[in-house]
Amino acid sequence: MSAAILTAFGLVFDPYVLGVILASAIFGLFVGAMPGLTATMATALLVPITFFMSPVPALGAIVTATAMAIFAGDIPASMLRMPGTPASAAYADESYAMAKKGQLELNLGVNLVFSAAGGIFGVIVLIVAAPSLAELALNFSSFEYFWLACLGLTCAIFISGGDPVKGFLSLFIGLAIGCIGIDPAAGYPRFTFGNVDLMSGINFIPVMIGVFAVSELMRGVMSIEKAGEFVQDKVGALFRGLGTVTRKYWMNALRGSAVGTLIGALPGAGADIAAWVSYAMAKRFSKEPEKFGTGHVEGVVEATSANNSAVGAAWIPALVFGIPGDSITAIVIGVLYMKGMNPGPTVFLQNPQFIYAVFIIFILANLLMLPLGYAAIRGARKLLTVPKNILMPIILLFCIVGSFAMTNSPYGILLMLIFGVIGWLMEENGIPVAPLILGLVLGELLEQSFMTSMIKSDGAFLVFFQRPIAGILGAVTLAIWAIMLWRAFQRRTPAKA
Amino acid sequence: MNPGDRMRIHDMVLGLFFITLAVMMIAFTGTFPAFPGQKYGPALFPRIIGVGILLCGALLFWRGWRNPAPNGDRRAFAFSPAFSERTRLVSFLLVPGGIVFYLLLAERLGFIPTAFILLCSLFFWFRVKPIPTLILAIIMTYGMQWFFGTMMRVPLPRGLFMQVLYGG
Repeated sequence: MSAAILTAFGLVFDPYVLGVILASAIFGLFVGAMPGLTATMATALLVPITFFMSPVPALGAIVTATAMAIFAGDIPASMLRMPGTPASAAYADESYAMAKKGQLELNLGVNLVFSAAGGIFGVIVLIVAAPSLAELALNFSSFEYFWLACLGLTCAIFISGGDPVKGFLSLFIGLAIGCIGIDPAAGYPRFTFGNVDLMSGINFIPVMIGVFAVSELMRGVMSIEKAGEFVQDKVGALFRGLGTVTRKYWMNALRGSAVGTLIGALPGAGADIAAWVSYAMAKRFSKEPEKFGTGHVEGVVEATSANNSAVGAAWIPALVFGIPGDSITAIVIGVLYMKGMNPGPTVFLQNPQFIYAVFIIFILANLLMLPLGYAAIRGARKLLTVPKNILMPIILLFCIVGSFAMTNSPYGILLMLIFGVIGWLMEENGIPVAPLILGLVLGELLEQSFMTSMIKSDGAFLVFFQRPIAGILGAVTLAIWAIMLWRAFQRRTPAKA
Repeated sequence: MNPGDRMRIHDMVLGLFFITLAVMMIAFTGTFPAFPGQKYGPALFPRIIGVGILLCGALLFWRGWRNPAPNGDRRAFAFSPAFSERTRLVSFLLVPGGIVFYLLLAERLGFIPTAFILLCSLFFWFRVKPIPTLILAIIMTYGMQWFFGTMMRVPLPRGLFMQVLYGG
C-alpha cells in the first residue's frame, strides 16, 4: 500500500500534472463564476481535452475544475445576486443580502474558507470510506450489482424531488439510447438500421456536451444582454471577522459538511441538493431563525460547507461501485471507462496508485482553493464583466470541435446537435436531463448484470434476493419504488380537487 | 422563470409521443434473433425499457387528460413570449443553426475558414465591434486548430483551404 501511495505522489507531483491542475483550477474558477455556466458544463467542456491525457492528469483536471467551480459560484451570488452555478442558488439571496448590508467581504471570506474546509471534510470521508467499502464490494456478484445499479438510478429520481414520472421517463430514454449498438450479452447490433456509426453505440461525450452545454447555450443566448448590478466596486479585507464567525458557527460548518458528504455520497444527488438541504437545516436548528433571509451568515456557513463536501463524497459510489453520485461523476465514470480503468472495487486492487492520486489531487485542489479563490475574488469585478456575447460563440465552436474529436467524424457533432435540442426541449418541459445521462452511462452495467443474473437464476426472480447483501439492496430498492408510487398517488389527489 | 416563459408541450401530446415511440421500439425488438438454448436474448432488456417508457407516456397522457389546463393553458404547444421577439428568436436559432452550418461546410471548405466565418457571423449578430470580432475570430480559430489539430492530432477537416495552401 505504501508503495502505491509513494507512486501516487510521484504521479501527482509531476510538473506536467501540476500544470494541468493549475490550469484547470483557473478554468474552473472562471466557469463557476460566470452565471449561466455550471460546474457540470465545466466538466463537459473539459472531457474532450482530458480524452488525450493519461489517467492522472485527466482525473486531476476534472477534480480540480469541479471543486473550484462549486466555490466560484458563490462569488456572483453575493456580488450580483446571480448564483454562478446551481449549487450556490440555495443561499444566493442570503449572500446578496449580506453584501447589501456591507458584509460582502465577510460573506466572500466565509464562502472561501468554509468551501475549502467542507471540501477537505468530504475528501477525508472519501479516503476513509472508499477502500473499506471496496473491500466489501469485492464479494459482490451480478445480483448485487444489478440492485446497486437500480438503487443508484432510482435515487437519482427520488432525491431530486421533481416529478417522478418525468424523472423515470428521462431515465428510460437514457437506458433506451444505451441499447443502441452492439448488445453486451449476445453481440447483436440493436437499433442500428445498418448504420456503421450507430454500430459503435451512442458516444456519451457528444451527448453530454449537447445536453449540458449546447442546450445551456440555447437558453443563454436568449438573455445575452442581461447583466447584474454590482453591489460595490472594491473588495476589502476578506478575512476580517472570520474568527468570530468560526467560533460562533463551527457546529454549522461541521453539520453542513457531514450532511453534504452524506448527500453527495448518495447516488444521484450532488452539490446543489446538499446546499438546499443544509440551508434549510441551518434555519430549522438555528437559535435565531427569524434572521434568515436578512443577510445572516449562519445559513451561508452551513450551505457553503455542504456543497463543497458533496463534491468529494460523490466520488465514493463512483469509484467503489462504478455508480455515479451526481451528473459530474457520471461524466467521470465515462472518462474512467475511456481510459480502460473500469470503475469498481477491482480498481483498488489493480490500480491503487490512481485512487491515491485522486485523493491527493482532491486535497491539493481544496488547499489551492484558498490562494486562487482569493485571487478570483480580488479580480471578480473584471472576471464578471467578460461579455457573454464574446463567450457564447467561442463555447459553441469549442463544443463542435470537442464533439468532433470524440469520434473523429461529423457523427459526433450530429449527436451533439440532436441531444442539444432534445435536452433543451426536455428542460423546457420539466423533464430533468441528469437521469438521461445516468441511464446512458449505467445502462450497460445494468443490462449486463441483469442478463447474467437472469441466466444464472434461470429466470427465477427470487434468486435475486437470496444472497444477504443483494437481499437488503433489493428490499431497499423495492421499498423506495413503493414510496414513490405512494407519493405519485398522493400527488394526484390535490390535482383532482 | 415562471412556467409561462417556456416552450411547453401539452402533457397529452408528450404522452402520445412517448407511447408511440415505446410501441415502435417494442415492435422493433421482435426482429432481434433468439439464441438457441438461451431463454433471454438481446430483445429482453429493450422490451423492459420500452414498457417503462410506455407506462410513463400513458401516465403523462392520463394526467394531461384529467387536468388539461394546468397553468390555464390548453394549447398543444405553447411558445415562450421571448420567441415572438425576432432578435431573440434569431439568437436562439443561431446556436443549432451554427452547428448545422459547420456540419454542411466544414468538410468542403476546411476547418479554418468554416470556424472563422461561423465565429465572425455570431460575433457580428451579438454586436461585438468589428475589430475585436476579427482579432478574436482569428485567434480562436487558429488556437483551436493548433490545440486540437496539431497538439491533439484530431483530423480536423482540411477541405479546400488546406488543399490550396499546401497542395493536397
